[in-house]
Amino acid sequence: MLSRVAENLYWFARYLRRAENTARLVGVGSQLQLDLPRSVCFVWRPLIDTVGAGAIFAERHPDAGERPSDVDVMRFLLLDDSNPSSLRRSIESAREILRSIRDSLPPQVWETVTDLHLYIEEDGDRHIVRRYRVDFLNRIVDGCLKVSGLLGANVARDIGFQFMQLGTAIEQADMTTRIIDAGASGLVAPRDEEDREAFRALQWMAVLSSLAAYQTYRRQVRQRLSAELALKFLLQSYDFPRSVHFCLVRTQRVLSAMPARPGVERRVNRLLGLVRNADPAALAAGNAAQFVDDIQLGLGALDTTIARGYFDA
Amino acid sequence: MDWTKYRSSAFDELIHANGEPRPAAGRLVEYLRALSDRDVAARQVAADAVARVAGITFTVYSDGRNVDRPLPFDLIPRVLARHEWERTAAGLKQRIRALNLFIADVYAEQRIVADGVFPRMLLENSVNFRPQCVGVKPPLGIWAHVCGSDLVRDADGILYALEDNLRIPSGVSYMLENRMVAKRVFPELFETCSILPVDEYPAQLYETLAAISPRSGDAPVIVLLTPGVFNSAYFEHAYLARAMGIELVEGSDLFVGADDCTYMRTIDGPQRVDVIYRRVDDLYLDPEVFRPDSVLGVPGLMRSWRTGKVALANAPGAGVADDKVVFAYVPKMIRYYLGEEPLLPNVPSYLCYDERERRYVLEHIDELVVKPANESGGYGMLIGPRSTKREREKFKRLVQADPRNYMAQPTLSLSTTPIVTARGPSPRHVDLRPFILSGHDVYVTTGGLTRVAMRRGSLVVNSSQGGGAKDTWVVDLEDAA
Repeated sequence: MLSRVAENLYWFARYLRRAENTARLVGVGSQLQLDLPRSVCFVWRPLIDTVGAGAIFAERHPDAGERPSDVDVMRFLLLDDSNPSSLRRSIESAREILRSIRDSLPPQVWETVTDLHLYIEEDGDRHIVRRYRVDFLNRIVDGCLKVSGLLGANVARDIGFQFMQLGTAIEQADMTTRIIDAGASGLVAPRDEEDREAFRALQWMAVLSSLAAYQTYRRQVRQRLSAELALKFLLQSYDFPRSVHFCLVRTQRVLSAMPARPGVERRVNRLLGLVRNADPAALAAGNAAQFVDDIQLGLGALDTTIARGYFDA
Repeated sequence: MDWTKYRSSAFDELIHANGEPRPAAGRLVEYLRALSDRDVAARQVAADAVARVAGITFTVYSDGRNVDRPLPFDLIPRVLARHEWERTAAGLKQRIRALNLFIADVYAEQRIVADGVFPRMLLENSVNFRPQCVGVKPPLGIWAHVCGSDLVRDADGILYALEDNLRIPSGVSYMLENRMVAKRVFPELFETCSILPVDEYPAQLYETLAAISPRSGDAPVIVLLTPGVFNSAYFEHAYLARAMGIELVEGSDLFVGADDCTYMRTIDGPQRVDVIYRRVDDLYLDPEVFRPDSVLGVPGLMRSWRTGKVALANAPGAGVADDKVVFAYVPKMIRYYLGEEPLLPNVPSYLCYDERERRYVLEHIDELVVKPANESGGYGMLIGPRSTKREREKFKRLVQADPRNYMAQPTLSLSTTPIVTARGPSPRHVDLRPFILSGHDVYVTTGGLTRVAMRRGSLVVNSSQGGGAKDTWVVDLEDAA
């Protein structure tokens, strides 16, 4: 397989997964806002920082401070071209990449992604207002899942498929850690400090929901939600497909079926070690940021090693 | 469908001047007559839907972004009788044999110049003559492996050769897709009429490419080199690569090693490439030899080709014969190299570098079509009878300033064929582009791509300028069921 095609398949899967997670995250944040009493507000800043766009946002909205307006935030996260991780940019990147590989995928993949792209371009502005936002975001998530379904149901398990699996798993591990980071830094700001504890559970519920993990968590853990338990679940669950552990094991398995490349296996194993040895209680007590940074650096290094081993050959 | 009012001012491919269908189109017209307007509309919708799902598009770059436009497809096929087509195909084979001998000669001894049949001056001033190709002996002695010749029918009912595209002719994928659409829409007619198939083209192309592999063996590595997704013919590049089961590569996927071999970058490391069906123009092929700013090509590719380590189709420099002035010499080439009389007439041409002919062109510019020697896509030409005085004056100046670069032809009364409109069938001008493959043998497509000027009265059939396409049927009248 051509290196360029392999790289494109990998990035197509990453952008698609990134778009889906972004839509979910914004959707859950919007919902949570509605559940909070007036004395408490949802803070978007950690989410913006989490996707690595804090500096760009500050530049775009110099007067926004810690409490930017709902409209500014929505536009920035969903539609802003200057934000490299906006929903619009992710879908657009996925589509541009898809152009040159569309012949190796089922035709409906191109149609579905084009449909999403046109929907965002034509109706995005009107549909991100609160009245239509849920429908808008649902349609994006549905479209992304439709593509995942098409790939899963109709694509041969050849080497190209493996590269897409790799992209999906690494992107999900990346997004899950970013969302954990945002959750740990606090998404709810009560005016009264004493209320903080009361709303923490609500906040972690939102975090779990944004990763489609809440139901599974309830069924499997059956304990009152706490930061520690949520972190444990999202990092270390063996069978939940968006947990960091699950994604890394998937990555490991896909890579082991590919022609071996120096350094790749070691990097995955190191990351897995980090996640397995993590202490959720300590993380919940305030060490999450440093831990998440370590994972992110590890994922970045893994991406570089994969690129060097397979794409720049 | 009501044909009673259908009349064309030109020779019509389907309907006689007396309103009766031509013999080869008899069944088709009879069939269409039985369809109600609603049936016709429903089938056009079905055809458009099939075309959309198949993703039949060409890419236009405008407003800073790419737009995939569907190629307008008209329902009513253009029909040719088998006996006429066989004569035409023989003429096309004869042309390409002579053209390949001409290109080989021009890059070797130049006998045709020495013998005074072809003026040296034309060669020296040719923008498509590549000194870098002199002395190269490509496999089988063939330079133009894929040729797309444009044929037009004049009022006299005769098919003429209008030009030969020997660089990177496109359109064959539309020919194949149009047939696929037509079969879906008119399955009944394919059962009862004897319509000759077109779908062996990708296999024939593969054979042609495999034949020039520098390594012996059953499975040469063949790739299609595309300029990329922004190219207007990208759909076709992807289509043909898929149909032949070969890799679709971009310049950055290839590199030339210290051993002069060409390799492609794969996830398993470099893999040697034997044959490149390149759809990148000569000047962008190799930044070391041609345009240094080109990012579409592969540095060192010309070295690899010259040393015979990789085969290129078409060979660089083949465009020397794809020049509207050189075109006028094709009948002479046929006599010179083959000792035969041309089977397919050329559209008469006036060459502006010749003083006598130039004077004629300048005096009759309002009756002629004036073309630059090396433009394609229908750009930069003047259609005398439809021009303004100002345009004519401009072209007179252009011709006088650079006579070598211009030629003129009489304004043909291009034949028409009916298309579906809201007001029933209506005549539109068409041309025909068959594709000719040269390997061990010469192969000609059955019919070719019929291009239609969708606007009433328009003579410009290019897709970049509002042209559409139709399926082209070669019908065997003796073998009708």
